[in-house]
Amino acid sequence: MRSQKLIYIIPIILFATILFATDLASPKLADATEAGLAAEEVLHDGTNFDKMMAVLMHKRCVNCHPSDNIPKQGEDSHAHNFGMARGDGNHGFEATNCNTCHQSENNDFSGVPGAPEWSLAPESMKWEGLTRTEIAASMLDPKRNGGRTHHEVMEHLTEHALVLWAWTPGIDAAGNPREAPPVPVDEYIAAVKEWFEAGAVIPAE
Amino acid sequence: MTEKKKVSRRKFLIRGSLGTLGVLAVGTYVFRNPIRRMGLEMAETLIPPYSGEGTDANLWFEITKDNQVVLQSPKVEMGQGTFTSLAQMVADELDVALDQVQVIGAATDTGIVDGMSTGGSLSVASLWTPLREMAATVREMIKAEAAKQMGVAVGTLSTSNGSVSGGGKSMTYAEVAEGVTEWKLPKTPELRAVKDYKFIGQPIKRIDLAPKVFGDPIFGMDAEMPRMLHACVIRPEHVGATFKSAETSSAESMPGVVKIVQKEDWVGVVAETYAQALAAKMTIKVDWDVPKQWTEEGIRSILQVGKGNKMITQKQGGALDEADAEVVSMEFKSPIGAHAQIEPNGALALVKDGSATIVLSTQVIGVTQKQVSEALGLPLDKVNVIPTYLGGGFGRRLNTVHAVQAAQMSQAVGKPVKYFFTRKEEFQHDTFRPPTHHIMRGKLGADGLLEGLEHHYASGDVAINSVILPPMLTTIFGTDIGAMRGGNIQYDKVPSHRAVQWHTTLPFATSWWRSLGLLANTFAIESFVDEMAIKAGKNPVEFRLQQVSDKGTGKRLKAVMQKAGETYKDETINGRAMGFAASVDAGAPCAHVVEVSIEDKEIIVHKVICVFDCGIAVNPDQVKAQCEGAIVMGMSGAMHEQMTLKDGQLYPTIYGPYNMALMRHAPKEVEVILIQGDDKPYPVGEPPMGPIGAAIGNAVRRLTGERLTDLPMRLA
Amino acid sequence: MKISFTINGEQQSIDIEDGNTPLLWVVRDMLDLKGTKFGCGKAACGACTLHIDGEAVRSCSYAVKFAEGKNLTTIEGLGTRETPHPVQQAWMEHVVPQCGYCQPGFMMATAALLEKNPNPTDEDIDNNIINVCRCATYVRMRKAIHRAAELTQSANPVNQ
Repeated sequence: MRSQKLIYIIPIILFATILFATDLASPKLADATEAGLAAEEVLHDGTNFDKMMAVLMHKRCVNCHPSDNIPKQGEDSHAHNFGMARGDGNHGFEATNCNTCHQSENNDFSGVPGAPEWSLAPESMKWEGLTRTEIAASMLDPKRNGGRTHHEVMEHLTEHALVLWAWTPGIDAAGNPREAPPVPVDEYIAAVKEWFEAGAVIPAE
Repeated sequence: MTEKKKVSRRKFLIRGSLGTLGVLAVGTYVFRNPIRRMGLEMAETLIPPYSGEGTDANLWFEITKDNQVVLQSPKVEMGQGTFTSLAQMVADELDVALDQVQVIGAATDTGIVDGMSTGGSLSVASLWTPLREMAATVREMIKAEAAKQMGVAVGTLSTSNGSVSGGGKSMTYAEVAEGVTEWKLPKTPELRAVKDYKFIGQPIKRIDLAPKVFGDPIFGMDAEMPRMLHACVIRPEHVGATFKSAETSSAESMPGVVKIVQKEDWVGVVAETYAQALAAKMTIKVDWDVPKQWTEEGIRSILQVGKGNKMITQKQGGALDEADAEVVSMEFKSPIGAHAQIEPNGALALVKDGSATIVLSTQVIGVTQKQVSEALGLPLDKVNVIPTYLGGGFGRRLNTVHAVQAAQMSQAVGKPVKYFFTRKEEFQHDTFRPPTHHIMRGKLGADGLLEGLEHHYASGDVAINSVILPPMLTTIFGTDIGAMRGGNIQYDKVPSHRAVQWHTTLPFATSWWRSLGLLANTFAIESFVDEMAIKAGKNPVEFRLQQVSDKGTGKRLKAVMQKAGETYKDETINGRAMGFAASVDAGAPCAHVVEVSIEDKEIIVHKVICVFDCGIAVNPDQVKAQCEGAIVMGMSGAMHEQMTLKDGQLYPTIYGPYNMALMRHAPKEVEVILIQGDDKPYPVGEPPMGPIGAAIGNAVRRLTGERLTDLPMRLA
Repeated sequence: MKISFTINGEQQSIDIEDGNTPLLWVVRDMLDLKGTKFGCGKAACGACTLHIDGEAVRSCSYAVKFAEGKNLTTIEGLGTRETPHPVQQAWMEHVVPQCGYCQPGFMMATAALLEKNPNPTDEDIDNNIINVCRCATYVRMRKAIHRAAELTQSANPVNQ
């Protein structure tokens, strides 16, 4: 029992550090009004892998991990309006790059979402249409994950502001809050860390 | 203001030496025709009279001390190039250089405003004769006066570039007119031959080009007044919703809020800045009464051929027998269309000390003045409406509710109030292009030509219930003359042909949208005629040419078809097919040939050849610009745009989800060929929108074998 | 809060309560530069496009607080009647505007494109110029963009 509790303390401390960061660029996780709508079915039970993949397969993530060169948007993951596409550097085109509209914070006036380093995931990280074990394998493969070690992948998944944006996704152009992933952020972070610590085992499915 | 005077077309009222401006040549020109002359036929082909009203204090021209001519235009400039054409007309008869002419939209205090509207593509056509006559008359007035001052015979004088010269002497118009209070009124002189004009007929660069390229603050949304406040009005999201009550207590204490204005059926927020007004608006809870959740199906169930008010608008010969196996029948549909003009509607209003000033982008200056005067209980001459350049009109600004609301809010706070719609409000509270439903019927005779052709169509309001037309017109016509545009059949050699309109008023406002019924009607008719040509095994251009007589606009229509037909090939080459269609609108025939291919289920329009007979093209470059714009806007309506209903609300409410033609969709090549088939200018802004949808549909038909019947055209 | 930036070559400092106020309203209502337009407020139409540190940005979706220390250019600073920007010159040569309301946004987007890609292809234009023009002046715009590229290159020939 005690060891289990200890394991939870570490991520909670790390999480708390993030919460107290005062850098403008940090997502304001503590601000309840910015939290996204909980997904219809919130997942509390299940394995660490279940929880992790329930998040990574959510539209808030997959929308920017397309299998083609078109970012997706919205709750229905339609192709990004106005023909926005990957461009040469995952960042759109010269006069219409991601930052033409997306800034480092959500914009409540326009309904345009924002987070630091807003961009499409590189083509090697295409997740759209893959099964969860395929995504997990892709994530662990240094040839596809930007040359990251397991530890670096874990850090990316639990600390990168753009990833954590998914839990404070803001409101859309019509003023409707976007849906957040189906696992609360602290549970997700804990699940990810535990899964990596336990050897990052992808179950056979 | 003095009471209206009915002045005959050859009388002028002159007022001279108006203060610091030096000389004013003031013309009052009234060209009235009784309403009974506005017959149904006129709605299709003739040009309704300019319906301005004249009083002493209004001017058309001012000649300033530095010898500029200021034209107070009763028509507004919304991109259609009217100001430029009017300047050309003035310059050519008044004998001034083009850069001596400044055109401004007349305000109700200072100029003649059109009591009806700027619209119908009528500005140049309706002012063609009156404006030139007036300019010529003023020229002669100046010559007569110069003759007196110079002590020479008027016949020895000539005018050019704003100067009168003769016998070695020369005076500018300003010099001649200075201090003169009594003018001799000449008879209206003969107008010059069109071929002798220096400016008319030339592709002059738009006179408003620099202001639009350098970002000058010329639009309604750019208007400013000292200590101006900003406002929002809360509008319902649901169709048919009415205002019950509002909870505004939290809004009242929000930063920058000056006042919450509550009227019988609306609530507005007035604040120091727009962002503050918006933020306060979000906290206001309005209780709306929503009696019914309208759906697309619900609308379609009442908007159908066979439902509503029926009017036969055209009838020749007997009706086709639906039970006849030889009769081909086809159904067509068009959706609700949003104006989506980029500048939202709004107004800047100052109501103080018993008078009102309204500055706004509008197509209805006179009507706005009337409605503000009524709503505020102010006499008409205490309401000054100042029109600006419009960031798009297209028929969207033929109403006035926002001007009244801005005025009422200003009245409540005693300061200038600037109010404009949010984009969502523009999409949900538009005066939409109504959805339509069509049933075409046709039968081929033994000779492979049409024996019978019928267009049955249902539409929501276009002209009916419009704020600019008196309700009695509906009674006179019995039909919606706007929905009727393009609805009659132009193939008058077909022994039996008819058009039958079914009209229904829908639960949301529908009204004028560039070219009115022309877009949907021409799509239905020209697609069907094309289908019948295929059935007859005939070339679609020949098929049409053989069925139009020389009567009325027939000869001009055929000339246009013939010319366009020269480029039409009835075959698919390298994955590209051509489509042909033609229509006449407001007396101006137009034909399109398009070149289309299909890639990944996307219809790509590579090239459009447009042949257009607008009579005299006062500015051929701007006529071409209007054709180019009408073609691509017509493509947008025919291939991309669609408003619908979702959860009882009009949807979508933003660009993007409301698909429109963008740069990538515009044809890479558009060629416009102008034919002059008559010796006066015809409407230009709308007629070229007619054929484009059907032309594209006809090309797709040849590429895929599929006949697309529902707008927007999409391949499954 | 106080926010300072350079706009059209001039230093500006504004005092504003809500740093999240869209830059568009600061430019139009506080600095009285009306050339940048409001079309939708949702970054969908592009009428509000201006430059921030040389990049095209839709100012209706840009919180003014982010402008601190940046270099802003609006249509008024792109060029003047006396010294028009090549884009403006091309726009006038081809008589592009009709109603004119969306044009500043298009010119700013085009100028940003040409700054990085002095010789755009039609496909580059399709990908980059995605603002909405209701008058549908796209046909002339495309010609003007190619002409502006020509003018830009003749002024600054690129050595291959």
